[in-house]
Amino acid sequence: MSDSHHEESYWRKYIFSTDHKTIGIQYGITALLFLFFGFSLMMVMRWQLAFPDQAVPVIGGLIQWLAELNGFASIGNLPSDLYNVFGAMHGTIMIFLGVVPLVVGAFGNYIVPLQIGAPDMAFPKLNMTSYWVYFIGGVIMLVSFFLPGGAANSGWTSYPPLSVIATTGQTFWLLGMVFLITSSLLGSINIIVTIIQLRAPGLTWMRLPFFVWAQFVTSFLLVLAFPPLEAAGFLQLMDRVFDTSFFLPSGLVVGGEALDVSGGGSPLLWQHLFWFLAHPEVYVLILPGMGVIAEIIANNTRKPIWGYKSLVYSVVFLGFMSFIVWAHHMFMTGMGQGMSIFFQTTTMIISVPSVIILSCFMLSLWGGSIRFNTPMLFALGWIPMFGIGGLTGLPLGLSTLDIHLHDTYYVIGHFHYVVAPGTIFAIFAGIYYWFPKMTGKMLDETLGKIHFFFSFIFMNGIFWPMLIQGMAGVSRRLADGGESYAHAQGTLHLNEFMSYSAWLLAIAQIPFIINLIRTLLRKKAAEPDPNPWRATTIEWTDTTSPPMGHGNFEKVPTVYRGPYEYSVPGDSTDFTPQTSKLIKDR
Amino acid sequence: MSVKDMTHHIANYRKIFVFLLIGTALTVAASYMEFNVQNSIAGAVFVGLTIAAIKGYLVAANFMHLNSEKKIIHWILLLTVFFLSLLLFIPLLWDLNLMSHY
Amino acid sequence: MEIPYNVQVREDTGLYNSKLGIWLFLASEVMLFGGLFSAYILLRTGAPVWPPIGEHGSIMHILKETIPHATFNTVVLIASSVTMVMAWVSLKMKDLRKFRIYLGTTLLCALVFLIVKYFEYSHKIHEGFVPSHDTYMALYFTLTGLHVLHIIGGMIVLGYFFGPGIKMWDNEPERFTNRIEIVGLYWHFVDLVWIFLFPILYLLN
Repeated sequence: MSDSHHEESYWRKYIFSTDHKTIGIQYGITALLFLFFGFSLMMVMRWQLAFPDQAVPVIGGLIQWLAELNGFASIGNLPSDLYNVFGAMHGTIMIFLGVVPLVVGAFGNYIVPLQIGAPDMAFPKLNMTSYWVYFIGGVIMLVSFFLPGGAANSGWTSYPPLSVIATTGQTFWLLGMVFLITSSLLGSINIIVTIIQLRAPGLTWMRLPFFVWAQFVTSFLLVLAFPPLEAAGFLQLMDRVFDTSFFLPSGLVVGGEALDVSGGGSPLLWQHLFWFLAHPEVYVLILPGMGVIAEIIANNTRKPIWGYKSLVYSVVFLGFMSFIVWAHHMFMTGMGQGMSIFFQTTTMIISVPSVIILSCFMLSLWGGSIRFNTPMLFALGWIPMFGIGGLTGLPLGLSTLDIHLHDTYYVIGHFHYVVAPGTIFAIFAGIYYWFPKMTGKMLDETLGKIHFFFSFIFMNGIFWPMLIQGMAGVSRRLADGGESYAHAQGTLHLNEFMSYSAWLLAIAQIPFIINLIRTLLRKKAAEPDPNPWRATTIEWTDTTSPPMGHGNFEKVPTVYRGPYEYSVPGDSTDFTPQTSKLIKDR
Repeated sequence: MSVKDMTHHIANYRKIFVFLLIGTALTVAASYMEFNVQNSIAGAVFVGLTIAAIKGYLVAANFMHLNSEKKIIHWILLLTVFFLSLLLFIPLLWDLNLMSHY
Repeated sequence: MEIPYNVQVREDTGLYNSKLGIWLFLASEVMLFGGLFSAYILLRTGAPVWPPIGEHGSIMHILKETIPHATFNTVVLIASSVTMVMAWVSLKMKDLRKFRIYLGTTLLCALVFLIVKYFEYSHKIHEGFVPSHDTYMALYFTLTGLHVLHIIGGMIVLGYFFGPGIKMWDNEPERFTNRIEIVGLYWHFVDLVWIFLFPILYLLN
């Protein structure tokens, strides 16, 4: 689709584009590649966990080359130092380079302006900048794999003092994070301004699709929670580069020798600043996913979403509360009972709006004539998976139970249920749902269903046993999966099962990849159906598929009704677009 | 805005400039004075930060036009200040022990 | 393609886009400096003596000497804020000549601030009070350093509007006035940060 006014050069059109649709797709492709890379790191780690110290099959040579480049001994196995690197980078890449750029950068960018009837984002050039800043951050992270000592190896949480005395990879990690944070900040400011300022006439707040609300709250979380981590990143950089002692207490002994620093710092300070971001970050990961699910459920049950207003109030409250719960990650830091009671209470309170949202989605199904297409299957799969993720979080929020569960595989199982079959299912659902909008071509349903069912099975195959291992007390971040720990022996056999599930999950993604490529190569219909799902929201009803070049809409749409008016009594079709003024008589 | 409004603005900015200079002089003078109660400098800190807060308010309200700004911006800033105060002060409460009398 | 409300205000919000954008950006800046202030509070309350005594003793005697410099810098920065807002007023009154004078003065003030800062830094470093000396020095250099970076960033943008950017005035005077208001808001914020840095780093020790 070219601009109707003038032909843009290749570079302006595809590389340094200021069109939100192109930038959205750029984000999408880059982030999917990172997601795949992060997943590959995990697959290698799962080999080490299932078969400790044996050479990795197929890519053993590559692992050995990387390990020796980093200065670790390897016979094709994953040495424990490199295991730490992979672990830290798996977390970092999945969260900051994979999921957030997908849900906010790709979906937020592509869909939000279309859903609110805007010609573009409010600041198109800034939008382009944020993508390229993200790109640079990603490159820095990737380059750090080839440093002596490897990439960052102190976990995605980078707790000092360990991270301060770690190898150079950590400095690159911090630099990379500064870029990624800056990119997120610029992007989210853009989204907020776009939603507040560029809504089409008649699109009042209570007529916004839930997806837009979720993006709105998410962006606020990013704007207000990310800067403290950026500050913390600066401080840790100072500690590493200029030998300051922000996070180093006095009298620290490393390897039998007193560390030559002034001391007087506080490791706890990092944890405060880190979790002040990282807890809201959890909601950054899940809220846009909820938004996607809401769109798909309303569309495929052919009835209005149940409790639109409670959904909106819940998501706003959720965003607000997410700033007051961060210390439930820090119950083990010796906080007084006063504080642990406070944070335990706020944690229990924040579960209420999540439950409301989940209940609204469940109740929406009731009495609907459900279409079981691929996006809907992913949405239906999302509900119980996110439910498990949420419910397993409650015990962790209780400070006494946390003493046992802290830092075990239970924690890993819990948050992976939220993020992997939670957010990533929402991402898949969104891709299947909006792919026809982006390309004008439908993805194949059969391949999509194969993709869903196998992903669903193997996701559970990976994460459910983690909960069991965790309750048995197996710690996270053990390079041998607990082999050398007496108390872990009873659950060791689960390691192989989880690893096979992980590899099979990778195989289950092949139909998805084939589906994407095959559909992209297929010839487009002369006039693709702009609204294949028979949806009500503006992006489907008032634009072509894909939307025309820069500008999106032939004329600015006017909105007359709420987002989910399906099966309105008296209407001749079972969906009434937001932009239709009158109900068409039968 | 008319030229007349603007001259009014200018007079106001001059006034604020003078207030800010007075505030600066006061805060420096105060730092040489003894507000100390029992060897703690809490008194001095309180005086210093109060003056800084007043100066900050003058800048924000007048130069940044917050006194006549739109509601939506006030709400955003209110939210920011609320979260800021959490970030500043909650880490200090780590040793709080509500159960100590049991 | 034109983005709506780039220059004109939207009726229901009463704002044009970049006004809202800059305030959101400043909100994030508040949280950025907030994180650093939080570090200051936590480290200060946790320290037995403040400023801590390190290898070269206490910074106190040097700090006492630099109070006049810092006071001078405070006045300079406040003055630059006033000239900044006057530059905007001049544009509102369609007086480009005055605008140039005021904006030039703002830039000059910023330059003076940086020069004084340079002497302050080099004096401290010369005496051995480098960032790694103690946590006070670490905070001092990080906080003022980040503030200086903000000044430099602001100067680049102001310099652009003083130089090539001014051409916009000929075709889109209203948009140019908005831009000056936006960069002014940022500049006042940088001033505001200094108003807090001044007492907590120089006076209240």
